[in-house]
Amino acid sequence: MIDPAWVSGLSALLFVIGLAGAFTRKNAIIVLMCIELMLNAANMQFAAAAVHHGDATGWVYTIFAIAIAASEVAIGLAIFLAMYGQHESITLDDVNVLRN
Amino acid sequence: MAGSGSTEAVQSAALEYAPYIVLLPMLAFPVILFLGKMFNGNKMWKEGLKEGGLIALPVMGASLLISLWLITDFIGGSGHADTAGWTWFTSGMWDSGQTTVTEISLGFGIYIDHVTVMLLFIASFLCLLINTFAIGYMNTDPINDNRNHRFYAEFVLFCSGMLGMVLADSFLWLFIFWELMGLCSYLLIGFYYERPSAAYAAKKAFLTTRVGDVFLMVGLAMLWTLFHPYAGAGQGALDYSVVFYEGNIEKVAASSSGTLAWALGLMFIGAVGKSAQFPLHVWLPDAMEGPTPVSALIHAATMVNAGLYLVARMFPFFGAEALHGDLADLAFIIAAIGGTTAVMAAAIAFVQHDLKKVLAYSTMSQLAYIFTGLGAALYLANTLHWHEYLADGTKNPDYYVNHAIVVVAFGAALFHLFNHAMAKGMLFMASGAVIHEVHHAHHHLHPHDDHHDESPEELLMLANYLHDSDQSVFGFFNSIDLDQSGEIDTYEFQKALKDANIADLPPWEMKRLMVAVDMDGNGRIDVPELELSLGRIHLASLAGDDDHHDHHDEFDAQSMENMGGLASKMPLTATAMLVGSLSIMGFPLIGGFWSKEGIIANTWRVALDDPRFFYPAMCVLLGAAMTGFYMSRMWLKTFAGSPKTEVAAHVHPTNTWIKTPLFILTFMSLGAIVLASMGFTHWAPDEYYEPFFDGKKSFVEGFVYEMEHAFANSDAFFFVLTYVAILLGAIVGPGLALSLYGGKLDEGEESLPWFAPVLALNQMVKGRYHWDNSSFAQSGFATALENRLYFDHYYDMAMLKIVAAFSFKAAEADSSVIDGTVKTIERTSQQLSTKLRSLTTGSARDYILMAALGTLVLFGLIWGVVA
Repeated sequence: MIDPAWVSGLSALLFVIGLAGAFTRKNAIIVLMCIELMLNAANMQFAAAAVHHGDATGWVYTIFAIAIAASEVAIGLAIFLAMYGQHESITLDDVNVLRN
Repeated sequence: MAGSGSTEAVQSAALEYAPYIVLLPMLAFPVILFLGKMFNGNKMWKEGLKEGGLIALPVMGASLLISLWLITDFIGGSGHADTAGWTWFTSGMWDSGQTTVTEISLGFGIYIDHVTVMLLFIASFLCLLINTFAIGYMNTDPINDNRNHRFYAEFVLFCSGMLGMVLADSFLWLFIFWELMGLCSYLLIGFYYERPSAAYAAKKAFLTTRVGDVFLMVGLAMLWTLFHPYAGAGQGALDYSVVFYEGNIEKVAASSSGTLAWALGLMFIGAVGKSAQFPLHVWLPDAMEGPTPVSALIHAATMVNAGLYLVARMFPFFGAEALHGDLADLAFIIAAIGGTTAVMAAAIAFVQHDLKKVLAYSTMSQLAYIFTGLGAALYLANTLHWHEYLADGTKNPDYYVNHAIVVVAFGAALFHLFNHAMAKGMLFMASGAVIHEVHHAHHHLHPHDDHHDESPEELLMLANYLHDSDQSVFGFFNSIDLDQSGEIDTYEFQKALKDANIADLPPWEMKRLMVAVDMDGNGRIDVPELELSLGRIHLASLAGDDDHHDHHDEFDAQSMENMGGLASKMPLTATAMLVGSLSIMGFPLIGGFWSKEGIIANTWRVALDDPRFFYPAMCVLLGAAMTGFYMSRMWLKTFAGSPKTEVAAHVHPTNTWIKTPLFILTFMSLGAIVLASMGFTHWAPDEYYEPFFDGKKSFVEGFVYEMEHAFANSDAFFFVLTYVAILLGAIVGPGLALSLYGGKLDEGEESLPWFAPVLALNQMVKGRYHWDNSSFAQSGFATALENRLYFDHYYDMAMLKIVAAFSFKAAEADSSVIDGTVKTIERTSQQLSTKLRSLTTGSARDYILMAALGTLVLFGLIWGVVA
């Protein structure tokens, strides 16, 4: 049995990688993937916590989060399509109509 | 304000109708105004109704008839003060500190006593006559065409203001109507508002009287505070029935007689402003800018009498036993202001050339006489024990003597008010007739003289200045356009002319320049306008066209220098003027003599008692001689001698509308002795009158009494004083004038028989004594008099130094403190929002970063709280 602490550490690592990617990448799809990475990091944490406490609640949360992540990806990709239709680009720096 | 009046039994049938005296003219005001607007230029309106003159006439006639009914009812009936009231509306009022609601009702009430009756007659009678005169004067002058309805509308409103003020039964209503008159005087003095001097005069009259009115209002507020606790249910604290009730006066006197004196003193300042006394007299001579009927209205029938009426109204305070001696100082101040003005105004009248200005200063001086007389009478009422019972309830041993003294003194002042109103109304109308005819004669001789000055000298100087200093019009324009608006307004233009050392012009002169330059009439000058005007004027001057210089010495139809010898041309007017002048001078047996003697005698009577009064007493005695001089000078310069200009030789008699009131008033002035014999001089609060003469003296007895009193006074001092006054007023003053001015009429000129002795006397005195007054005429004093003793100058300076400086400071404070605060708030929030705005970069990654940081902070906070 792996020590849940390790799983937590891996989850934190994945989260930071996702966060850094979301900060630094310009491509919207990659940013979306990074966000998914962060969600999955959270899921891993839930799972680890469920194992640690011997409680199924954490698993339930994980299932919910995966379902939400799926729909979120669908909406996100739809947004990117619309964005491309408007700006002919999915580079985030080009999309700054809310500036100032 | 006699709110409970509706339940009170009205004591006389005439009183029921008394409100119509005020209401009829007030209702005629909108009628004339709107009909005039609707039918302006219509032939029927113009010829048939005289542009409203024939609507005003019956209205004023009706007012006079009701007034006469009321007066005869009053004299023939009880002769006691009487009131009637009509409730307008009632409303609740919370008294501070009380939990109950006091019901107060507001309404108009009529208060009739002897003073009211006198003023009521003067006002309604003269308003009717002046209305008649105005139809002959206003409707025959082409410059008034199609706007006379405005004159008649304002005229009737003015009359209703005066009549309402006289009839009102409370100081509050008095004040309301007082202000109505102030408004109408403004409108009427500025009747020729397109003339800058008239607009200026109207503003001056309005603002100067407003200074007095502020004090009057404060005085009334103080009076209200004093009497408020004693006002019964349904009574206003300023109702005469409250303030004149002796029980109330006693209560107020017991606690705060000093405050009451101050309140009355402040109210007196209001009267000073309204009646044009020193130091608020400056508006009266300028008020001559209005049409002559307006001058007659202001000087005789209404406006200036209002101040006197207010002071006369204060009599019950002065006469109250409870305030014995407390108000003597105020009485002295009233008399002293009167004395000062009497001499000052008479001195200024010496050097005036304008016929109407002489009369204006004469008004001021004669009103001052009345103030002095009132001051003396109020002093006597305040210091003598003249009631039947003394304060402690014992019988007053000196009752009869003191009573007679007070009543006669008060009556003399009021009788002079009457005589002066009649004479001055007549004099103004006569002077109007003269001016009217001189003006017509001038038009007849020089029909094309009305010329609009399109090339003012100052513009030529400006053109030359630019030419000499080699400036382009555009460059000059930019240098004077201080606010860089691309257009010059009057102020910038004035400053530019001043800076270029061309002229420092007053606002009304600037208007003339602006009109000449401002082609599109928008009130501002732009570059092309200035360029074109200057070019035109420069060209005109090069072409040697200085034609416009001739128009600077415009013919002045009001200047006595342009008259002379009119006695043969306008005999009736000359007669009226002669009688009026003699009445004002106090020539024995005529008009003002009866009352003026009384004023002088009573002031001296007080002076014997209180040495302070020697000042006003000397003033009125000196003023008598001065009056004799300037009135004679005016008559002689206008009517005697040979015509001084070609115009004066071609004057014709005037029309019937103008003659009628002159005719009537001549007899009013001559008949003053009849009124005097009827006991007219003894007007005073009624109940004090009867014990003196039992109220039932026959006419002949009265006549004998007056003659004895005037010419054969049993008291040696007053006997001498009478003859000194006659000597000064009827011999010394006129004698000097006779020796200086006038002369016989031209050969072949005939006039009415009664002028023969006057003209013969004039010729004799002038031939025998020749005074050389040139040294006086050139002295600094004469110059000072011609400049009205520099009062206007100093007032303007004071305004500039104090008021303007204060305004600048206030403007500064406004822009830096008040506006500054608002602007700082606005600027700071704007800067803040700019800073906040820079956070929204529009970049999604920045938002993610912010969300992450925010989450981190939240976690930190939660962690901190939990831990």
